[in-house]
Amino acid sequence: MTAAHARRRTAPDRGRREMLLLMLPALVPVLVFSVGPLIYGIALSLTDAQGGRDPSFVGLANFGDLLTDGDFWGSFRIGMIWALSVTVVQFAASLGLALLLNQNLRLRGLARVLAVVPWAMPPVVIGLMWRLVYHPNAGLLNSVLRDLGLIGQNIDWLNDFSLALPAVIVVGVWAGMPQTTVVLLAGLQSVPKELHEAAQMDGASVWRRFWNVTLPQLRPVIVAITSLDFVWNINQFSLVYVLTQGGPGGQTRLPMLFAYEEAFRYGFFGYAATLGVAIVVVVLAVLGLYLWRQMREAN
Amino acid sequence: MRVRTALAAAAAALVALTAAACGSGDGGGQATSNEPVRLQFLSLAWQKESIAANKQLVAEWNNANPNIQVEYVQGSWDNVNDQLVTSFEGGDPPDVIHDDSPALAGFASRGYLLDLTPKLPAELKSDIPQPAWDTVTFGDGRGGQGVYGVPFLQESQVIIANKKLLEEAKVRIPTPQEPWTWDEFAEIAKKLTKPGDRFGVAWGMKSPVNRVLNLALNFGGTFFATDGSGKTTVKVGPQEREVLQRIHDQLYTDKSADPSALGMGTADPLPGFYAGKYALLPAGVYLRQQVVEQAPEGFEWITLPPLKGTTSEQGATSQTLSVAADSEHPDEALKFISFFLNGANQAKLAKGDWLLPTSVKAAADPSITGTENGWDVATASAKNLVVAPYLKVNGFDEWKSKVATPVLQEYFANKITLDQAATRLVDEGNKVLERYAS
Repeated sequence: MTAAHARRRTAPDRGRREMLLLMLPALVPVLVFSVGPLIYGIALSLTDAQGGRDPSFVGLANFGDLLTDGDFWGSFRIGMIWALSVTVVQFAASLGLALLLNQNLRLRGLARVLAVVPWAMPPVVIGLMWRLVYHPNAGLLNSVLRDLGLIGQNIDWLNDFSLALPAVIVVGVWAGMPQTTVVLLAGLQSVPKELHEAAQMDGASVWRRFWNVTLPQLRPVIVAITSLDFVWNINQFSLVYVLTQGGPGGQTRLPMLFAYEEAFRYGFFGYAATLGVAIVVVVLAVLGLYLWRQMREAN
Repeated sequence: MRVRTALAAAAAALVALTAAACGSGDGGGQATSNEPVRLQFLSLAWQKESIAANKQLVAEWNNANPNIQVEYVQGSWDNVNDQLVTSFEGGDPPDVIHDDSPALAGFASRGYLLDLTPKLPAELKSDIPQPAWDTVTFGDGRGGQGVYGVPFLQESQVIIANKKLLEEAKVRIPTPQEPWTWDEFAEIAKKLTKPGDRFGVAWGMKSPVNRVLNLALNFGGTFFATDGSGKTTVKVGPQEREVLQRIHDQLYTDKSADPSALGMGTADPLPGFYAGKYALLPAGVYLRQQVVEQAPEGFEWITLPPLKGTTSEQGATSQTLSVAADSEHPDEALKFISFFLNGANQAKLAKGDWLLPTSVKAAADPSITGTENGWDVATASAKNLVVAPYLKVNGFDEWKSKVATPVLQEYFANKITLDQAATRLVDEGNKVLERYAS
């Protein structure tokens, strides 16, 4: 080792160190509040931690139990139905709304503001509000339907075995529409007008222009927002907890509610952590597949 | 070098900060001799009169005991057990905890609650009869038994009836000495039914499990059996099926019970009851409070005693006051409980909640034995209460929410047969119970 060599190596090293030092303030919250809990959760999922007992290491036994747990698969199925249908319907409705708000309408500014209002409401408030809408005797929905003569007697939307999940999905769609609409609207506004004009000159119909100009231009935005929505929806908790607490008879027990019950109702903390880790894996897998396909098609 | 020192310093600072943040939480207990002991009392009172009674008793205590100050903390039945698990695990639970006996079994076996056996004052112990103490005696998770709460309010299932309709139909009005049998009840419900206009009875079965299990004891149905080795399994035999079948018959054979009331909670059929749509409303004694408050003027109602099968026995659970194992002032906490639940005070609490007191002295209190608002019938029904068998079952809560609630709802909705329901209750139920068998 010559002195020259050593000097050449220390200079960039020191630069790296200083960079690390400067990054430290930003890294600390990430490490403390994101990475730490994640590692703790993974560690917990490998134990049999239960309320009041000292946990012992059990390896992957929890994951084995999970794979054969019919209740988990039931909850997982409900979670997928919920996440997929909310994401898809949300996307379709938001695209329609965004297209509308992109037109040169009167009071467009006001309409855009109104479309964003639900975003400002916390999920718990949304849940409470919709619980009133769905209330069997005093709810807005039943009274409107009765006035229109569509139903003969009041329906208990959130306690009916077959209606509860659809009713909750409607709320999920409503709650998530603002951000999807805003993002799609921003995407629409970045589509160059020239392309539309050129297509129009070539005699393309409105539908053709939408399909062949707008959609391909929007693709990156659509991929981004639908994947974000999917992650958001499958991890939804507060909205459904307030609306139904997973009832009736587990018909709206999303995976996160299931995990919550395992931990805080029955006291199986280790098993609940396993559920959390499993959902992380599932979300990563679904997203990876989806993004990979979208990217491949885009290329 | 300097960088590493800085890093180490930063890490040390972070550790110190975290430690300080954690430490500040449990410093409150180090009261010096001059400072009063502070207790937190988590109360789940929710009816207006009952909250008033609770707060008044706390104020009385605080005035009389400047050295032991109790802080009233309002909780809610909806999420109390989630809240408690979190605070027990976090090590900062309230000192005095209001809950009900089904929840105590799990908490006791996990060591969250203090065994009160050695601390109970004799006066309190003798004022509450043994069957009530049985509802709060549980295993401690290490092979022993302990008393994990003081039982104070109990609920029995009675029938609230439209008096005019009963008189019109000229049916026998039952008394606590001579109650209706289930057969008689079925006949009378049929008699009171006018197709298209009125149903004899409305069974609100939104949360059917505790209710069905409590009533099942009328025919000796226990739903759980424990073998010699201490292993508990679910059992649905002929005795357990009686009440299930009888309610189902009312709904679909006799057509004397309204199927559309099934999704309702206990109080939801009340508007229909006032309107004469239902003649009989099986309900917990506390529902009388809402009838008194809401019934339209001139509406005449009557409380009917519990039904009789082979016996009139009903499963009972109790509302309880417990002391957290982590409490730093268990003796003071128990002193407060002894005051709060003495005979005179229990009578006030029972009256506030429209429930039955466990205290013998309270049960003799004139304010809850008069004929007004059915108190005589309600108080008399306390003698039918025996400890509910499911109380001693570890894992009952999970069995109830994952298995029994959906199964019973589907059975009462006539979607599955009684045999299918029984099979699922047993098979799926035993799987759940196995998780707790360690």
